[in-house]
This record gives sequence, C-alpha cells and structure tokens, in this order.
Amino acid sequence: MNVSQIVEALQQNFPDETIEVRDVPMRDTFVELAADDLHAAVTLLMERFDIYHLSTITGEDTGDAIVLFYHFWDGQGLTLCTLLSREAPHIPTLTDLIPGADFYEREVHEMLGVMFDGHTDLRPLVLPDDWNSPPPLRKEEEEKEDEQ
Amino acid sequence: MSNDRITIPIGPQHPALKEPLSFMLTVEGEQVVDSALRLGYVHRGLERICQRRSYVQNVHVVERVCGICSHVHSSTYCQAVETLLELEVPPRGLYLRALLCELERIHSHVLWLGVLAEILGFTTIFMYTWQDREIVLDIMEELSGGRVAHAANIVGGVSIDVDEDQIEDIQERLDNLEPQLARFVDLVHNERSFQARTRGVGLLPTGVARGHCAVGPTARGSGIDVDVRRDTPYGIYDQLSFSVITVDDGDVWARAAVRAEETMESLDLCRQLLKGMPKGSIKTRAPRRVAAGEVVSRSEAPRGEVVYYVRSDGSEQPARVKIRTPTLPALSTLPIQLQGVNTADIPVVLAGVDLCIACADR
Repeated sequence: MNVSQIVEALQQNFPDETIEVRDVPMRDTFVELAADDLHAAVTLLMERFDIYHLSTITGEDTGDAIVLFYHFWDGQGLTLCTLLSREAPHIPTLTDLIPGADFYEREVHEMLGVMFDGHTDLRPLVLPDDWNSPPPLRKEEEEKEDEQ
Repeated sequence: MSNDRITIPIGPQHPALKEPLSFMLTVEGEQVVDSALRLGYVHRGLERICQRRSYVQNVHVVERVCGICSHVHSSTYCQAVETLLELEVPPRGLYLRALLCELERIHSHVLWLGVLAEILGFTTIFMYTWQDREIVLDIMEELSGGRVAHAANIVGGVSIDVDEDQIEDIQERLDNLEPQLARFVDLVHNERSFQARTRGVGLLPTGVARGHCAVGPTARGSGIDVDVRRDTPYGIYDQLSFSVITVDDGDVWARAAVRAEETMESLDLCRQLLKGMPKGSIKTRAPRRVAAGEVVSRSEAPRGEVVYYVRSDGSEQPARVKIRTPTLPALSTLPIQLQGVNTADIPVVLAGVDLCIACADR
C-alpha cells in the first residue's frame, strides 16, 4: 500500500474538499473526508489500489459529533474518518461494495443510531429485540449511566 | 412436497450448540436454501465497561472477551496502550508474550479439530486431540498459573518468567507433542472418511471470502495469503521465521488442513522462542495516565485478525476501546457456506467456522 499515492488520488478526485491526513502509530494512516465522499473514496480504494479488507467500523460520540472510523488494512492500516451530525446521523452504506460491512454497520446503527442509507436490513445485531432505550453509546446515555 | 420450504429455528438454546446463537434455516427437502443468524445472547457490553475502568484494570476485562484465546486479546490491548505510552517492552517480555500466543494457537486449533472430529463421528480422534491439548494446557498452567485465563500480560510487559530448567522441561514436552500433531496433519490429508465428510462442504470461493473481509484460517482456507504476524509484524514476530499456510479449496477440509498444519508452525515458533529467549527484564514500569492519542492495534489470533482501536483523552481511563474479534467476519460468511448444503452437513459447516460466540458478542 502506497499511502501517499492514495492520498494524492483522493485529493484529485475530491478537489473541493480539504482532506486531512495524520499518521497513527503501528503503521496506520487516518484520512479524514466528508461523509458524502466516503462511498466514492472506497470505490476508488478498491478499483485503483485493490484495497478490499475492511477490518471494522468504529463509531464514537464525541459530544459534538458522531465520528466513524472505517479501518481498512492491506499489510498496513488505512482508516477513513468522517464526521456526522448528532441530530440525524446518516451515511451511504458500503454493503453494495463490501458485503462484509453488513455486521459492522448494523452494530454502529444500534449502538449510536447512525442510519446507513441503502442498507436493507438494519435489525439489531447484539442488543435485545425489545431494547426501547436510546442507542447506548450516545454521550447522554453514557453520562446517565456514569451518574448511577 | 419436495418444493415446500420450511423455516426451522435453531437456538439460542439448543443441544447441538455449545454457545447461544440463533439461526433461522430455510430448507427445501434436505437442502438449506437460506439462513439468517442472530447474535447478542452473551453480549456483555465489554467496550463500554472498558471506558469506565483504568488502563490497568482493562487488561483483565479484555482477557475475558474470549474463553479460548484470552491471551491474544490482552496482548493486543497492551500493545495498543504501550504504543500510546511510547513504552519499549523489554525483549524477554515480548518473547514470553509471543510464547503464550503460540501455545494458545496450538491449543485452540487442536481443540477445534477435536470438536470437528466429534461432530463427524470420530470420537476416538476427539479423545486423542483433547488429550494432547492437555500437554499444552499444562505448560501454560505452569507458566502462568491459569489454564485459559493467564493474567500474564501487564501494560509494559508480562508478569511471568521462566528459568532454564522450565525451558528445558517445556522443550521436552513439545518434543513429545510433535509426533501427535504430525499424526493429526496426516489424518486430515490421508484419512478417507474424514475427507468424505469435509471435502466440498461449506464452500467459500476466494472472491466471496475477500468480499466478506474473511480473516485467519477461513481466509487462508479460501486461498487468501494473509497473516498479520507476517504482514504487519508486531512484538518480535519480525525476528522469527514461519510459513503462512494457504489452501485453495475453500471448504471445511481446507480449513482443517490450514489449522492442522499451523499447529506444526506454532510448535516450531515455540521452539524458536524458547531457544532465543534473551536474558533481562520482563517488564517496564508504565505510568497510569496516558497522553491523548489514538492507535489501531492488530494481532493474529488463532481465528485470525484481532483489531483494537484505543483512543485516549489524556485521563486514566480510555475514551473509546473498540474490539473487533475474528469470529465476526467468519460469521458473516456463514450464510454463504450454508447455501445448498445437506441438512446433515449443517453441524460440520458450523464447526468449520470455529465459532466463538462470546467473542463475537463481546
């Protein structure tokens, strides 16, 4: 994996966006891009660089936004990060490109309430069927739990 | 009636399942035409628990993600925290950590072969495998005091050490184990009835395995040449030599062949580790507070790539710990493997995946 080539290609494809890049220890590079560009960026990674292995998707509520990390790996790590609004977080699904993204998206959906547009089956994966509370990893839920 | 489709629920509590998992299998006659699975019956919220404990306490939390490969989880987590702290673990600590990882791989693979053998009706092989697995468990118990939960890792190294006599003793026991493991490899390759039940069952073509982000023996059994130990060397793996076993067949037999041969590689790695064990300290002192930062830590567990994403906000507790266990991508390939199989082969396909539901649920 040639990270500088990948970043260059992403920059060329999304000339209007500022793509932020930061190196993370243990051979990983984090590339921050807009949620709308994610699907096209992953298509580019797959078609031009043959990067297909999505290790997982990490979701986190920072209090200001929902951050998603798409951890790709091909001998070294490449993580695409994107920020979503806390009010109505949604992002296009990757399941049409990577069927293996299914479980990861479902987990982020139930834990943080992120909608994956185009995902046909966002049933709960690990939470009970009768879970009526808000998504448990949302900041306000965590704070409520911490107070108990 | 052969065209009638019937949907059969299996689990979460079922005599044939060792852990709670729920399946909806749609069959047409004796053929599986569709399947859907449901996780969550042993979800413990471990990622959230990690956010409420200190970095030191979490070593023991993550060790409980899996009841078979517990050590690799604490190793991957410690590796992440040590990287955030910019700590250099003494070489002897890394050697001991890797030694337990490789012993764990042998015990996990041999255990798995026994489970598969029992399902196939080979009770004798089940008995032999589990008897030989005891040799490995005994070594691990003497090293750490625990058969499965070792509590050997600490942030900054390990808490266990070995002396020269112990090294000699372990080497001797590994010598005794070797012909047994070789016998299992021979069984997988040459036993006709074993092959009759596993060849062409649970097919997962290379392209599909790639699309489902398969890892570990599932990927290598479908011809994908991947191993985190070689591709992103961590610990002291860049100083060790081993082969990555791949088989192209993509069926349960291929996964068995990969795992059986990997036990021989791991045995050799254990010998390299014991022989090359450097003298010196086993740990370095780690501060309680971790500077702000983030890291993605990967390891090769017996079932494949384990991923830990750890983010620190500068406090004594991590802001986020994300755990991706290798069972999750393996489970995502299961509906494809089950497509078109005979109902009698369902347990064989399930066993072939090497399920660890507690891992997948976390």
